[in-house]
Amino acid sequence: MNAVQKKSWKKPKRRPQAMDYSILFLVLFLVGFGLVILYSTSSYKASLLYNDTTYWVKKQALFAAMGICGMLFIATRDYHIWQKKWWFAWVIYGGVIGLLLLTFAIGAASHGSQRWISIGPFSLQPSELAKIGIILFLAAYISSKSREMRQWKKMVIPFLFAIPIIVIVGIENLSTCIILLAISFIMIFVATPLLVPFVVIGLIGVAGAGGLLLTQGYRMERITVWLDPAASEKGHQTIQGLYAIGSGGLFGKGLGQSMQKLGFLPEANNDMIFSVICEELGLFGALCVLALFFALIWRFMVIAVNAPDLYGSMIVVGVIAHIGIQVFINIAVATNTIPNTGIPLPFISYGGSSLVFMLLEMGLVLSVSRYINVKK
Amino acid sequence: MRAIKVHTFQKEKYTLVFGAFILGFTLLAGRLCYLMIFRSEELSKKALNIEQRERTIKAARGKIYDRNGIVLADNQAVCSVSVIYYQIKESQKVIKLLSQKLALSEEEVKKKVEKVSSREKIKSNVPKSVADEIREAGLDGVKVDEDYKRYYPFGTLASKVLGFAGADNQGILGIESRYDDVLKGTDGKILTLTDYQGIEIENAAETRVEPVNGNDLYLSVDYNVQCYVQQAAEKVLKVKKAKRVSVILMNPQNGEIYALVSLPEYDLNEPFVLTKAYEAEGKNQNDKLNDMWRNPVISDSYEPGSTFKIITATAALEERKVTLQDSFFCPGFKIVEDRKIRCHKTQGHGSETFKQGVMNSCNPVFMEIGARVGAKDMLRYYHKLGLYERTGVDLPGEANSIMHKLDKIGAVELATMSFGQSIQITPLQLMRAVSAGINDGRLVTPHFALEKKNPVTKEITEYEYKEKAGAVSKETSQTLREVLEAVVAEGTGKNGQVEGYRVGGKTATSEKLPRRSGKYISSFLGFAPANHPQILGLVLIDEPQGTYYGGVIAAPVMAEIFQNVLPYLDNL
Repeated sequence: MNAVQKKSWKKPKRRPQAMDYSILFLVLFLVGFGLVILYSTSSYKASLLYNDTTYWVKKQALFAAMGICGMLFIATRDYHIWQKKWWFAWVIYGGVIGLLLLTFAIGAASHGSQRWISIGPFSLQPSELAKIGIILFLAAYISSKSREMRQWKKMVIPFLFAIPIIVIVGIENLSTCIILLAISFIMIFVATPLLVPFVVIGLIGVAGAGGLLLTQGYRMERITVWLDPAASEKGHQTIQGLYAIGSGGLFGKGLGQSMQKLGFLPEANNDMIFSVICEELGLFGALCVLALFFALIWRFMVIAVNAPDLYGSMIVVGVIAHIGIQVFINIAVATNTIPNTGIPLPFISYGGSSLVFMLLEMGLVLSVSRYINVKK
Repeated sequence: MRAIKVHTFQKEKYTLVFGAFILGFTLLAGRLCYLMIFRSEELSKKALNIEQRERTIKAARGKIYDRNGIVLADNQAVCSVSVIYYQIKESQKVIKLLSQKLALSEEEVKKKVEKVSSREKIKSNVPKSVADEIREAGLDGVKVDEDYKRYYPFGTLASKVLGFAGADNQGILGIESRYDDVLKGTDGKILTLTDYQGIEIENAAETRVEPVNGNDLYLSVDYNVQCYVQQAAEKVLKVKKAKRVSVILMNPQNGEIYALVSLPEYDLNEPFVLTKAYEAEGKNQNDKLNDMWRNPVISDSYEPGSTFKIITATAALEERKVTLQDSFFCPGFKIVEDRKIRCHKTQGHGSETFKQGVMNSCNPVFMEIGARVGAKDMLRYYHKLGLYERTGVDLPGEANSIMHKLDKIGAVELATMSFGQSIQITPLQLMRAVSAGINDGRLVTPHFALEKKNPVTKEITEYEYKEKAGAVSKETSQTLREVLEAVVAEGTGKNGQVEGYRVGGKTATSEKLPRRSGKYISSFLGFAPANHPQILGLVLIDEPQGTYYGGVIAAPVMAEIFQNVLPYLDNL
């Protein structure tokens, strides 16, 4: 049977195996852990504002349940259905752009900045949809044009396709724009044997970003705040986050014992939740969380390398890029390693759209895992 | 659809991407270690700084006792009642209870109860019994905090001496102010963790720093003597419809002040309520209060008049410019330069010895001996007798004397100075100078505080005061006592006599400035026993109606006080 399977990537229509349970376990653990931490960070404020300590946790748990159902559904489908017809990728592409523009239109109509679309009782954040959309689109495009990816002129084409989405998102939401950019960059990077152009693009990017920062005062401010957060009012969040992290020590104050979450630390439920983890669970807990994400990425890598085809592999790389970059930026911001930009910590930060779409991405990876080449 | 293989070069790229993540995550792990190990102490300290709230526990202010241990200033336990919005469960009940117990209108309480704030004070200075009732009702969200309020058991007694302490436990006037650092102690504190609104976290560990109560203070004042003096002073104030009556009783040997009364006094428990005597004047509220609180005995200088002749006599005797037997002639006036300065007895005392001159309080005699001493030596004695310096009494706000400069003193000035005019001193400066004159020449420091007692260790620290010997010789002092005894025994001070006691003294009647206003200060300075003075008293009647001679109206007050106090002297 192994012998058959070893060559089975040539024959896509074969019986899938069981999904990668280690990934499933890690994901479920992170979601569960996330709910516990969210309960810890949000209960005090929730009891003050809504007289219900579980106000936010209940909402988040509902999203988690929905997300897990969606994840399992997608995981048990063959991931090839997303590229069954050549125009599927373009439907996804068009759909994402359409939704983003719709959000704009609604926002403009209500004379305010808008990141949400309300669907019944839920509100959808299309920028989160854009992440999974761009992964699926680029995976389909790159795998169908894998030969062209060897020439650097052709290689740029998928990136050009990605740019409208990145730009539209970037107008409202710089952080997500950075994530999308990183996802596209990494997916194209791994799809081509070329290396030099990326080094060049990387250097140009750094120079461009530097120039942009130096010419625009308000962006420069982020840098000055980053270098000395205590000196500026805007450094409040960073400083409070550092207080939380520092007061955790080696083993933390214990679950639920954070003081900073009691209103001192802004965004404690969202972007700064990692600081509360540090305060409550200490360096030990923080490194465990980091290790969990690392284990997840490592499992993804195994699947990406052993994926039965380029399409599946590209999907997994996209998800790796998404999670990896988001975890890195979130923790780097919390520890003031890089200038502040608001990005949620996957699975843990409060936010329905973010959690649901992240779980759907997990579903895709799990689906791919069912078809990998298992070496003896 | 055609499946495309994952190329080998791609796997290398995967390794690169994975390597980048390893690098990134390692960087983060390192950063976390740095923050949570090496900067942990510093950051947690800073965090605690903003997370902790300090609540002070008031230290009890030290009590003030009289010399026999009677409490003159005490602390009363009072409470403040507040509500915490987020903890209130039955707001209707709370409103009803608080408005009822605290005698506040329901609307007023309702407004505070329903205000969304972390802590709202409903009322402070609530008596403990009422606060206990509120506490026992056990309603959620109602907080009762204990506090101290200064309480003066005898109300107006010695108000100008004690002064009072404000609501924040800060001494404002008098002894309370002068010995504030001794009395006030050190507040303790409770450090509690709070959320960002300052709401205390329940069940959080508290750090407690216990308060250190203030030291108790023992004064030289004697409660009984102070009471006698106050009664006597009140009587004369009423009879003579005077503006003020002040009396000081002091031990001339060591400067301990037994009693200091300056009517009208005010209620120390209600220091901001103007008493009737101070209401009428057309000044603003603040000035009126300051007038009421003022202690004229040490804060105001006046022309002492004839009591100051003691000083002139001291100088002349010490300089040997006069003896008791020297004879003088008083025609009722003395011509000094171009001026005719009258004696109070316009027809003149005729021929008299110096001793008789003192007994008669004869102005020409003193003008004569003043001229014999001369301005320069006279001022030297003023210096020796402490008239150029504050007495150093342990009360705030002491005034100093107003004297002529030496080069401005002509014969006329010297003459008027000799019988206590054209210069101004405070009553206490006079007391101190006379003390030196009659106690064999020791210049003492008038004072109140005798000792302080640490409430914890019970350790007693006595206060020591400066004393300077040699102001006058023993012989002069002896002579002075003798002649002043004669003043009371047979002279103008007859009304100061007390049966069975040897009393010395001197009367004075000084016309207030401006002259011819018909306003006088009648005074009598007396001491007993005359051979070895244990007590020195000064009675000042400010603006008496009707008869205004010191010998007539002030001396009997002193006699009455001495009558009560002298038998009691051994207890002091």
